[in-house]
Amino acid sequence: MEQTDAAPAAAVPLQFTGNAGEYFRIWIVNLCLSVLTLGIYSAWAKVRRKRYFYGSTLLEGSAFEYLGNPVAILKGRLIVVALFVAYSLLGGIHPLVQLALIISVLVILPWLVVNALKFNARNSMHRNVRFGFTSSKGEMSKFLVLPIFIVPLTLGLAYPYYLFRKRQFFLQHSAYGDRQFSFSATAGDYYIAAMKLSLAFVGFFIGSIVTLGIGLLPLYLLLRAYAEVAFARLAWRNTMLDAQFGEIRFDCGWTAGGLFKLYFVNSLAILVSFGLLVPWAAIRAARYKLERITLQSASGLGGFLAAQEQSVGAVGDEAGELLGFDFGL
Amino acid sequence: MTNVSALYFDGKSSEGRDVTIGLDAQGVLRVSGAGIERGWPLAEVRASGRIGSSRRYLTFPDGSQCETGDNDGVDRMFAAQEPAASYLLSRLLQRWESGLGYVLVAVAITVAAAWAAIAWGIPALAKQVAFALPTATETLIGRDALGALDRFVLSPGRLPPERQDALRKLFAGMTTGVAGAGGYRLELRRGGRAGANALALPAGIIVMTDELVELSQDERELEAVLAHEIGHLRQRHILRHVLQDSVTALLIAVTVGDLTSLTSLAAAAPTLLLQAKFSRDFEREADDFALAYLARRGIPPEMFAAILQRMEEKRPGGKDAPDYLSTHPATRERIEHARRAR
Repeated sequence: MEQTDAAPAAAVPLQFTGNAGEYFRIWIVNLCLSVLTLGIYSAWAKVRRKRYFYGSTLLEGSAFEYLGNPVAILKGRLIVVALFVAYSLLGGIHPLVQLALIISVLVILPWLVVNALKFNARNSMHRNVRFGFTSSKGEMSKFLVLPIFIVPLTLGLAYPYYLFRKRQFFLQHSAYGDRQFSFSATAGDYYIAAMKLSLAFVGFFIGSIVTLGIGLLPLYLLLRAYAEVAFARLAWRNTMLDAQFGEIRFDCGWTAGGLFKLYFVNSLAILVSFGLLVPWAAIRAARYKLERITLQSASGLGGFLAAQEQSVGAVGDEAGELLGFDFGL
Repeated sequence: MTNVSALYFDGKSSEGRDVTIGLDAQGVLRVSGAGIERGWPLAEVRASGRIGSSRRYLTFPDGSQCETGDNDGVDRMFAAQEPAASYLLSRLLQRWESGLGYVLVAVAITVAAAWAAIAWGIPALAKQVAFALPTATETLIGRDALGALDRFVLSPGRLPPERQDALRKLFAGMTTGVAGAGGYRLELRRGGRAGANALALPAGIIVMTDELVELSQDERELEAVLAHEIGHLRQRHILRHVLQDSVTALLIAVTVGDLTSLTSLAAAAPTLLLQAKFSRDFEREADDFALAYLARRGIPPEMFAAILQRMEEKRPGGKDAPDYLSTHPATRERIEHARRAR
């Protein structure tokens, strides 16, 4: 977006101050304690990691703060692990048992995801003002359970529409303090992006054949990067936050080439270092992605009001992550 | 006492104000800036733990907050105070993270513990669980395995009926008297693509191909191969394999959980090597079971070595892959092991 007039609508990028050396130390101590406690510490590790990344992400000179309670996360994890174990042990007994398990998962899934989104939002803070998420599980099931049947029935043709509705639903129920987020994209935008992606897929297909299969893996990475960029740009550029003096808009400057290079180098580094470069890769990814998100506002970011406080348990936090319901950073 | 510069947020609006924080002689934390002049006893102020050089937050009793990047300054202010338990833990972690020597210790402990868990811990646990579960679990897991093999790979056995009967009788003789082996049954099939082969399926079924029978030069060679497969079944190898693979995958997912799905593929690659290691360990266990059986029956272990040798020569490609990539131990190693068992 070009700003040609004299209005002081400054584009402010997010700033990321984390560094690999520092995060390596945090990561290895987290990992060490998680392994020694047979995974129980991993809830505390997650909080420490998130606190580091949040506390290293700055917007207009002020960082984000993560307030998640490790005990709540541990409870959530135990429930998800119990479900997973029950499913893998009982699932094989009888097709009817399996069906019953799938149905019960479909019933509790919306509840898990709503809880996850609430927990994550309520425990994210910026400038001493919390984010928020308000929705019911009834609404959620429309966006999670119905598409499971509708998308395959339409042979995937409904998928771009589902992606659109998912983002719209997430934003319409998200808030910063008492200010609502909103989403200005249309389903048509998502179909255009999907169409371009199909063309890219044809290119990928031809490229793989022309290079006699050698190009398959790099081209696949490139295709994945292209798809991620296409939908991330669509999502961010249409995200708005209702502010006191006009709205705040977002922009996303990721490119397919940049993301491809990021993933390619990260994967290679993790492979050759037997995982020791995981923290280095995580910092690189965060820096690339965060520093290319910009906010545009005419009035600056001050002047929001904080909404009422209430607390939510962490059950479902993991399920939310599995389903990719997040700001997608 | 040096002052700490910070941003002050009242918690009602997102507007920040530049302030200076200082500790006075009475132990009161003073926050002062344009239009702000406040103070709280230090004991009532909650400071967030230090994590690397990321931002710190001081939360005051009325819900207002200060944010600062001056970690050392905050630590100095709170140094004299009796810290809360959670703050103490955080300080301990921070000390650990900042000493290079301690970090290297963490690397060593992690690598050793992860290796021990994967090499011994998980297999031992899987073994306990597998033997504790009723046999029915395993039968159910692999109920359709034979059906799938029949559809895609195998075709009905074409050996003369009297030969088939003789083999079934041999198998029945082997399983009678072995505890828990009562339900095992032998299925004879034409191998086709699978060639000269024998395999154990979870439902207590052992499949042997015509090609293998034709390859053998002595009935006792087949007995040795069948004993190996009975070894797989007796030791619940398939169930243990499933358990070990899923627990390992879960462990890795938890530890590298902060990556995008695409790059975590790279982190998951070592699991493939581990799965191959699990398979080889099971082959060795089944070999040991077979050799013990042969010793009990007074059959020379050479019989097992000979049929392994011939299967190896018959195999397309012929040459072994390096041991660490292979799901079976290198056949030469297994043959030597069998010959040493005399």
